[in-house]
Parts: sequence; structure tokens; C-alpha cells
Amino acid sequence: MSQQSAFSSPGFDFSNSVRNNFLQEKGMPLPKATSTGTTIVGCLFKDGIILGADTRATEGEIIADKNCEKIHYITESIRCCGAGTAADTEFTTATISSNMELHSLSTGRKPRVVTVMTMLKQYLFQYQGHIGAALVLGGVDSTGPHLFTIHPHGSTDKLPYVTMGSGSLAAMAVFESSWKPNMERSDALALVSAAVSAGIFNDLGSGSNVDACIITATQTEMLRNFVKPNERVEKERHYTFRRGTTAWKSENIRDLIVNEDITLVGATGDAMDTS
Amino acid sequence: MEPSYRIVPPSQIKTASISDTAGSLGLHDTLRYGIRSIATQTRGGEFENRITKWEETQDNARLNMLANLYGPSAPMRLLMERQIVSTSPHMPGMPQSNIHLDILMGRDETLDPTDFFLGMESGPPLSVHNEMEKKLRL
Repeated sequence: MSQQSAFSSPGFDFSNSVRNNFLQEKGMPLPKATSTGTTIVGCLFKDGIILGADTRATEGEIIADKNCEKIHYITESIRCCGAGTAADTEFTTATISSNMELHSLSTGRKPRVVTVMTMLKQYLFQYQGHIGAALVLGGVDSTGPHLFTIHPHGSTDKLPYVTMGSGSLAAMAVFESSWKPNMERSDALALVSAAVSAGIFNDLGSGSNVDACIITATQTEMLRNFVKPNERVEKERHYTFRRGTTAWKSENIRDLIVNEDITLVGATGDAMDTS
Repeated sequence: MEPSYRIVPPSQIKTASISDTAGSLGLHDTLRYGIRSIATQTRGGEFENRITKWEETQDNARLNMLANLYGPSAPMRLLMERQIVSTSPHMPGMPQSNIHLDILMGRDETLDPTDFFLGMESGPPLSVHNEMEKKLRL
């Protein structure tokens, strides 16, 4: 009878680490991960939470995705915006979303934002910052609306308005000048759009459109591409050539079918047996 | 079960051994690992150690606290149950799942990346004889 270890393995294979260390010392650069650059924001208003994000994903200096989605689903009334390495944020939020579904089925209660926050922070702390996910988590549960930030090393903050990502300073400047407690929905949405737009126009890592998500106790509304300040204009001139621009001298048409004999199979005329 | 309340695995003393990078001839395999350098071999093991030993360290702290509260028999019983449940009559090469052990370890209602990622790279075992030898400890 064989004994298995009672503990689950970490799921990573470290057998190449010596080789990778050697290559790094000799100067070979590590492959670049797709980063989200990003401006993500969240703010508390009278009825709940509004989350906002831009939609650009960068890979070094190139834009990898002009219209990516950074507001991830966790549960029906909890959403999470992700900045940092795109794969890390997507995978982490998807894993936590699955675990939250199992957890709420097990407890029989509606999921709480603090549960999500605790799961995320414990997971990120275990990986010591190697998982590059900086998250803005917001939602409304039975205890009210909550807004958290989670940094890649596992530290968390609970605040009424938060920004993360490379455009966070631009967005925070907008929040600091205009945020008031107990704002109306339209004011809060305008503020969030202004904050994300500040990030879009003043930071190279953020761009394209503004996404917003409004979470209240009764419903969650996802406004994908809510504001599109960077639409491509139609070109002023047309660059197609008119038919007949190039002169041609001779025309030769060859039919690919040389000779065709059609033989009917099943020529007795039996229809398909569908009884 | 060590008498420690650590929740984060301690950093190990770094060692570099020829067996880490030995090829089939028993010498350092330069083709796979690069030119032999003790510095390179001792670098970078802290993170691997941390995540490999994570669950074990936390579990150890919990068992120690149980022993303080309820006496040494409490963790002893839990460890005994785990050991009973871990003995598997199946062939070691095949993918195995132990739901009883998962329930005892408290991971029957969670999903880890391990649950769906491992096993993709390895196919059927290269040598059934080696696997059976390891299992029966010959």
C-alpha cells in the first residue's frame, strides 16, 4: 500500500529553475508578460458602489488589446477590477469566483465582500508578490456596500474611493477634488468617467474606452464602453483604384472542369428512410 | 509534527548537490542546465520552498494549537485518520483522486489551480516497473 502526501502540491514545476537562473545571469531577458497598464477606480455613492476602468492592454510598448475588459465578475453583486499582469488578474479573479460560488452554496447565504477580500489576500500573500495582480474589489452584500483595494503582496485597504494602476495618480487627483459622501448616481457616474478619462489622457499605459459598473443592493448594471473618447475617425480620402486604371492586353479563361459525367446513384428514386 | 507556531515556511539553508543536475552518466548535465556554477544552483530556492511547504507549515501550527487546547491526543487522532485514508491500493502510475483525504483536509469545497492543471504534461508512466518499485519500496 502506498502513502500519498496529505498536502496538495503547489501546482508549479520548478525543474527548469536552475537553467533559467543560468540564462538570466548570462543576460537573456525574461519573456514579457502582457500587462494591463491601466487606470482602475472605485467609489462609494448613496445607493452602492461604482467601479470604473479603461480598456487598454499593453505588451511592453505595443498595445496588445485595444478593448479589453478589466471589470471581472466575482458574484452577482460583487465585481473586481484588475491591474497588473493581465493573465494573473483574470485567473485569480476566475478562481476566486468559483470558490465563492462553492462557498455560498455551502453556507446557504449570499456571498460577502470581506470573504472575497480575505481569499484574495491570503492567496496573494502566499505567492509573495510574484502574482502581479493589483485589484479594486467592490460590492454590495447583506451588511452594505464595501470597497477594497488589494495589492500584489497581499495588503488591503478599505476606503470610500480608490484608484489603482499606472493612471492611478491622475484618477486620484480627480477624486480628491470632487468626491463627496452620499452622491447621487448620475454625479457619481460622471465623477468615475472623469477620473478614468484623466487616466486615459494623461497616462500612456491607459487608453481607449471607459467601462463602468454600478452595483446597488437590488441590481448590478455593467456599462461596457460607456464613454468612447478615442474612436478612430473615418479617413478623409479614399485610396481605392477605379476599375480600368491598369490597361490589359489579352484575356484567357480556362474552365477547371474539363469533362463531367453525372451518374445518378440510387436511381430507383428511393427517398431517405426516416421511419 | 514540529513544535512550531510559524505560519510562513522558514527559509532553508541553501545546498547544491550534483544529484540536482546529474544526467544519466551521473555528472553535471551541461546541455540541460548550463555550465556548472554553485552560485546559480543555490539561488532562487526560497520561493519554491515557500509554496511547497505552505500548507504543511500552516497545518503544523494548527495542530500545535490543538495540542495545547485539548492535549496531544487530538492532533494524534487527526494524523492517524489521515494516514489510514491515504493508503491507496491502486497503481501509482495512474491519476489518483482521494476524496476522503480531501474532505479530511478541508479542501472538498474549494478549487485550487492544482486540481485542474497538474497532470497535463505527464502521460502514462514511462516505466511501470519503476513506479511499482517505488510504491512497494523495494
